Amino acid sequence: MRYPAGIDELTKTLIAGGIGFAVGAVIIRLYGYDPLAAYRALFNGAFGDLYSISESLANATPLILTALTFAIGFRGGMFNIGAEGQLYVGALAAVAVSYFHLPGAIGLALSMMIAVLAGALWSLPAALLKASRGVHEVISTIMLNWISQFLCFYLITEILVDPQRAEKTVSIIESNRLPLLVPGTSLSYGIFIAVFTAIIVYLVLWRTVIGFDVRATGYNPLAAAYAGIEEWKIIVFVFITGGLTAGLAGAVHVMGRPPVYAIYGGMPSIKGLGFEGLAVAMIGRNHPIGIIFAAVFFGGLLAGGRMMQMLASVPLELVRVVEGMVVLFLAIPELVKLFSWLRKLAPSLNFRAKRP
Amino acid sequence: MNPKGTPSQNNSEKLLEGKGLCKGFPGVWQHLILDHIDIDIQAGEIHTLLGENGAGKTVIANCLSGFYSLSEGQIYVRGRPVSLKSPADGIRHGIGMVHQELALVKPFTVAQNIALGLPGSDFSFPLPEVEAKVRELSETYRLSVDPLAKVEDLSAGEQQRAEIIKVLYHNPQILILDEPTSLISADAARLFEALENMARRGYGILFITHKIEEALEVGDRVTVLRLGKSTGTRPTAQTDKNELVKLMFGEHTPVHLERQAVKSDTIVLDVRNLKALAADREPALQGVSFSIRQGEILGFAGISGNGQSELAEVVTGMRKATGGQVFIGGKDFTNQTPRKIINAGVAHIPEKRRAMGVVEPMTTAENVVLKDLRVPPFSKGTFINKSYITGHTKEIVTRFGALVSDLWKTPARILSGGNIQRLILGRETWRIPQCLVAVYPAQGLDAKAIDHTWQLLMRLRESGTAVLLVSEDLDELMALSDRIAVMSKGRIVGLFAASEATRDKLGLMIATGGK
Amino acid sequence: MNFEYAGGILLGSLHAMVPITLTASGEVVGESAGLFNIGLEGIILISAMTGALGAEAGGPMAGLLVGLGTGFVIGLIFAAVCTYFKGVQLIAGVGINLFAAGLVAFWLIHLGVPGHHALAAEHQLANIATPFGDLSPMIFVAIALPVLIYLLLFRTKLGLKIRAVGENPQAADVAGIRIHLLRLLATAAGASLAGLAGAYLSIDWLGSVTKEISAGRGFIALATVVFSGLNPLLVLLGGFIFGFFDNLAVWVATMPAVQKIIPWQFIAMAPYAVTLLVVAGVIGRAKFPAAMGIPYQRE
Repeated sequence: MRYPAGIDELTKTLIAGGIGFAVGAVIIRLYGYDPLAAYRALFNGAFGDLYSISESLANATPLILTALTFAIGFRGGMFNIGAEGQLYVGALAAVAVSYFHLPGAIGLALSMMIAVLAGALWSLPAALLKASRGVHEVISTIMLNWISQFLCFYLITEILVDPQRAEKTVSIIESNRLPLLVPGTSLSYGIFIAVFTAIIVYLVLWRTVIGFDVRATGYNPLAAAYAGIEEWKIIVFVFITGGLTAGLAGAVHVMGRPPVYAIYGGMPSIKGLGFEGLAVAMIGRNHPIGIIFAAVFFGGLLAGGRMMQMLASVPLELVRVVEGMVVLFLAIPELVKLFSWLRKLAPSLNFRAKRP
Repeated sequence: MNPKGTPSQNNSEKLLEGKGLCKGFPGVWQHLILDHIDIDIQAGEIHTLLGENGAGKTVIANCLSGFYSLSEGQIYVRGRPVSLKSPADGIRHGIGMVHQELALVKPFTVAQNIALGLPGSDFSFPLPEVEAKVRELSETYRLSVDPLAKVEDLSAGEQQRAEIIKVLYHNPQILILDEPTSLISADAARLFEALENMARRGYGILFITHKIEEALEVGDRVTVLRLGKSTGTRPTAQTDKNELVKLMFGEHTPVHLERQAVKSDTIVLDVRNLKALAADREPALQGVSFSIRQGEILGFAGISGNGQSELAEVVTGMRKATGGQVFIGGKDFTNQTPRKIINAGVAHIPEKRRAMGVVEPMTTAENVVLKDLRVPPFSKGTFINKSYITGHTKEIVTRFGALVSDLWKTPARILSGGNIQRLILGRETWRIPQCLVAVYPAQGLDAKAIDHTWQLLMRLRESGTAVLLVSEDLDELMALSDRIAVMSKGRIVGLFAASEATRDKLGLMIATGGK
Repeated sequence: MNFEYAGGILLGSLHAMVPITLTASGEVVGESAGLFNIGLEGIILISAMTGALGAEAGGPMAGLLVGLGTGFVIGLIFAAVCTYFKGVQLIAGVGINLFAAGLVAFWLIHLGVPGHHALAAEHQLANIATPFGDLSPMIFVAIALPVLIYLLLFRTKLGLKIRAVGENPQAADVAGIRIHLLRLLATAAGASLAGLAGAYLSIDWLGSVTKEISAGRGFIALATVVFSGLNPLLVLLGGFIFGFFDNLAVWVATMPAVQKIIPWQFIAMAPYAVTLLVVAGVIGRAKFPAAMGIPYQRE
């Protein structure tokens, strides 16, 4: 029986999700807590009231954008894991623009534009190396992430440092901040920017010629070449757009996160957003709409984690445990097939390489 | 029963026998790749397996050596039924196979490659013994190769000798060689001498080839395969070229479709002294020159692997030419990008329809406009014009008779090969291209679809398209072509007008490589 | 800079070298067989935790063994997913990292002090005293291992098999080698060294477990592997260089005078920049096994 592609993807996510939560429950049990109470608190804390929902959406905002970075790359057949490095420079670029004390709308817009540009520029070396010398982008982006991290450490403590409080950068000036959507929460208008960007990416990938070319290249580079698609153009496009969204993630985060609107030394608030974005992208099946849902779900888990910790005494880090498991299983391409096959064969699992 | 390693002294003992061998592959359900084949190899004989490509020669060899499993049938080694589940099983039963695509790890030395397959402790370092034995085997069988050389540094002939020694190292009694002379020509005589030497010592040798001459020169018996069936086994002394050609290609007289003579003198595609390398860096095209006029079909005959694929790839921009030129419509398009060549009016029906001709995970409509997408009215600026594409695809699907469930939802992967080909044909020909490169256009299609394709090509010819047709099907070539070129080892070894080409003549030229 | 400084820096570098060299040596084996394990970071992290607990239960040696075993098990799971289940190596590795980060943080909280768990001195590995400071016996292990692995990969038949599987699995298959099984064991064995590295961090060098204890060393190890071109002897060199810069950066950070001339961040950055240049082909040539990263299928 054939199902349309969408159902297959959703099933896969559900299976992986199921396994992830099951493993989480086992771990919770092993440590002597109550899984049901924990999960109940988790979901309540995520979506139970306006405050929770706001926090969830606030968490989701940068995740949508960094997930898009990975997803665009994935659609083009590449593994762009440079979101970390790109978002760091994006965030700092936004902080830097703040120095110029530009009025309201101009400052806001310019901050975002420069941040986006910074992210794109940071992705360029990986793109060029791949296009010209075939350097594998996983290695080059990992290196660039590290170089960016240390560069930003330097910028934070030496150049953009707040003269009054040396452990952080200058705060973004009031006029350049993204206004809060729900007062008293962390949720800013950034969420609209993120969702809007996701929709744009969707339109580009499925409604434009370049998007078509990207997807075709990702599915079958040989057929794409046959059809006249030029690979180097696709590589550069994919990396630059990925860099744009990652830079935007950094900017939106620092410009929209009360109370400080700044980056601390060591970048604790933005570190890891790139890799989490990868997880969100996988859970969202690398589709912009799926990513929005996955990011909200995931942001919810992070927000709800606090409630889970308070009410059920289960440390919120469990959320990451679940996340990791889910991603691990989503790595298996034929997960759905495997699952139904395993259920048939439960006792005797045969793992020999199949001979033709 | 003789212990392994001692060739039999009884010269008509059947060392290896297969009865009723069948093999089908999942996904290819039209016909069995191997269809109830009986074959045997006796001690002291060189038994040639002769046939065109696609006849099933490599498949049966892989089954006999354990690399593939059988769907049906039974293999006997020295009269005892065996079940071969892996190449290791094959080796254990004394069957050694030298593959056509050499199974050597390129950065390793010859000795290291051999050491890889040796039994014994993993923590041993047997290289010195291996090197010594390699030199010894080299001597005995006159297959000189340097055990310390890295495979990637060796010539094709040396690599092959290394592969043979690697197999001989395990003291097989049965040796299977898959198209061993496809890579080496000058050294063939040395190889044959070595093989005859081994046969005299009691080995049983199965020698796979598509060259009639070799079969007659080197074999004691020859079995001919055609489309997965054995068409007969003969002692070499009792047969000749003509009989073998008939067994390989069949007997009926093909039809040559009626047509008007080629009207125009304008040359559309002009190829001069084209040279190119194959994927493994060996020369694939060694100076090919020809031209095709408007409204003319030039058919390329020959066993695949003689440069036809590479020719089509160079002409369409998918492969670099290392020498020579390609002129399209009078302009030099040598080594231009596929995009430019497509824009110059060259359509391409590719050899690998699933791997290159379509993007399988994409839908029917997306595949139909794969190339045209960038052009208005299929897109307006950067935006795809879905409604126009839908209309166009509907038309193509109807006109070319492709059976698809929907246009925008189901991936092309689930379509049958025939339907995919219909989509490709529609996509490539609806514009009446200036030039069409069609590589095995009707492979795997049913009779109706083949007929449909032939009619299409004739109509294009009428409309002035210059067609470069590559095919292994002599019927097809003779039906469609105005002229036929026979390719062997990267060169055109014969060029006939259709009127001069007969089945026997072509078959012979193909099977002998023009000698 | 006087003699004591130099000695101190040297010692510090050697200690910093240990986890990197161990992990990278193991990864060389795995990558030679064709699997790229980005999950090393997570493995180090979890093993630091399990190793510490093992040490508390049965002494430092037990702890190291537990760490080794943890690495082996996780490596086995990762490799199984990527060989028999044809999983995408990169994604599976990231999954492991996320899982590990969560698990260790979770565990630490459960054990009492969130984010930190110190080992009492008796659970730590005894060090050899020298005039410049303590020298851990693990340093010698870290120097010996790459040499042993070099011998394994280039002087035994097993090494040939491993490298064949990464370079040309079809040829290895024809030679009768069980591709998936060998990749599984090679990766698991390699990962066990990452586990040992993790245990070293908690039991020996740092003496405690924190949620950031791996501090990117898994990724540094990956960079070292790239830098070394899969030659274990170069891993030793690379590990030392990374360890040296790591240590130097920390030192510079505490010396404002030097910081003004060369900020520590740029020293820390140097090894990654160099690796990038190596990969780009500007310095040397990075050559990977031809079949690395591709799940093997016979047909």
